[in-house]
Amino acid sequence: MSLEIPRGATVAFVGPSGCGKSTLLKLIAGLLTTSRGVVTVDGHAVTGPLKNVGMAFQNPVLLPWRTVLDNLLLPLEILRENRDPRAPERHAWRERAAHLLHTVGLDGAGHRQPRELSGGMRQRVSLCRALIHEPELLLLDEPFAALDAFTREEMWELHQALRLDRAFTGVLVTHDLREAVFLADTIYVMSSHPGRIAHVHHVKAPMPRALAELYRPDATEMIRQMREQIRPPRPAQPSTGALA
Amino acid sequence: MSRVRKLVLPLVVFALLVVAWEVAVPLLAIQPIVLPPPSGIARTMVSTAGPIAFHAKATLITTLIGFGAAVGLGLLLGFAIGASATVHDALYPLLVGFNSIPKAAVVPLLVMWFGIGTVPAVLTAFLLAFFPVAVNVAVGLATLESELRDVLRVLGASRWQIFRKVGVPRTMPLFFASLKVAVSSAFVGSVISETVASNAGIGYLMAVAASDFNTRLAFGGLFVLAAMGVVLYGVFAVIERRMTAWAYAE
Repeated sequence: MSLEIPRGATVAFVGPSGCGKSTLLKLIAGLLTTSRGVVTVDGHAVTGPLKNVGMAFQNPVLLPWRTVLDNLLLPLEILRENRDPRAPERHAWRERAAHLLHTVGLDGAGHRQPRELSGGMRQRVSLCRALIHEPELLLLDEPFAALDAFTREEMWELHQALRLDRAFTGVLVTHDLREAVFLADTIYVMSSHPGRIAHVHHVKAPMPRALAELYRPDATEMIRQMREQIRPPRPAQPSTGALA
Repeated sequence: MSRVRKLVLPLVVFALLVVAWEVAVPLLAIQPIVLPPPSGIARTMVSTAGPIAFHAKATLITTLIGFGAAVGLGLLLGFAIGASATVHDALYPLLVGFNSIPKAAVVPLLVMWFGIGTVPAVLTAFLLAFFPVAVNVAVGLATLESELRDVLRVLGASRWQIFRKVGVPRTMPLFFASLKVAVSSAFVGSVISETVASNAGIGYLMAVAASDFNTRLAFGGLFVLAAMGVVLYGVFAVIERRMTAWAYAE
């Protein structure tokens, strides 16, 4: 496969399980290395783990012995220890964390323990942790898959708000076609065996988008097409009434 | 309310058992040399309180030295095994094999090398106690979520940083949980060794009492051992709760 993600854009990868979506994400992040071919980020070939990336997963993996605030500050602690030029001054840390928590609607939750939070709240904290060091690249691997439908839609709007606020480049791996249509500018439909890009869809709707737009004919048509591309419809079998 | 209940209920059962025992000995005409009544055991314990305290102290010190060494080595070994797949593959099977040796069988060798006394008891305590610590620490490190590792690696975190910031704190509940197991094992180890080859300690006291057919004193030693075992376990159970409250959500 060959593709280019423009700076500031958000692209989504959808496809059947096992088509290599998550692997692709790890290749971009430099957590895995390619056996053939090249991944370049910002003009440089990726040879090891990148350092200007934020990641969030389906499992929010917060550290249970740290408060929400201390979980958010962990990336900054590491940058500071490594004398990373992107590490902000210590006094700015809390401000930055408070701003992010405010953006995701978790004002004043900094002192709480992760175990006291609901799944959606934990996922928001996880998203904040991915963004606290202001990465240029945000990689999301099914970040909202474990949430209920309404919480998930809230998270989409939140993601959109964060994107407008931060202007990062985003790569999203998801099984949720509506999620892809709502969040991404370009959607790559992948096929498995071999894992390659089978189809490309461009979402023309301008940002910010409203959830209601997902029910417009062009959006539903795109979702229908992608669904068929991922799982070609099989003719319905006439029911024999037995489980033969 | 339930805390009091949890403390009081077992004590009530224990008291009832002692009373039943006290009543059963004369009732069933059991020879006191076979099974003395609790009152007789208590009298003997009071009259020999001095020697019992001396030997209890010896056992306690032996146990704690062996335990301390086991915690140190167990931590190091556990971290090494948990952090490196190579070390794990090379050492873990050996460790399991070593642990399956009944440690009582090692005591005669230790006595040949170090003579009768405290050293074999300390070493036996150590040998019994380090395995649970090493295994728990290794498991804690090895089960670190790969997502968490990835989140930190894309920040440029080194392996050492991930180990320090995430691996070590994450392992602490398992480490502290292993301490109460390890201290009990160390206690068993030192008493075994004392029984066979020592001239101090409750194990030695009981061996001497048994050779004198002093059943009361042997039972007295048993009660002291039980009490010490419960206290040692309890102390480390409390420390565990204190140190890793976050791991006990509801």
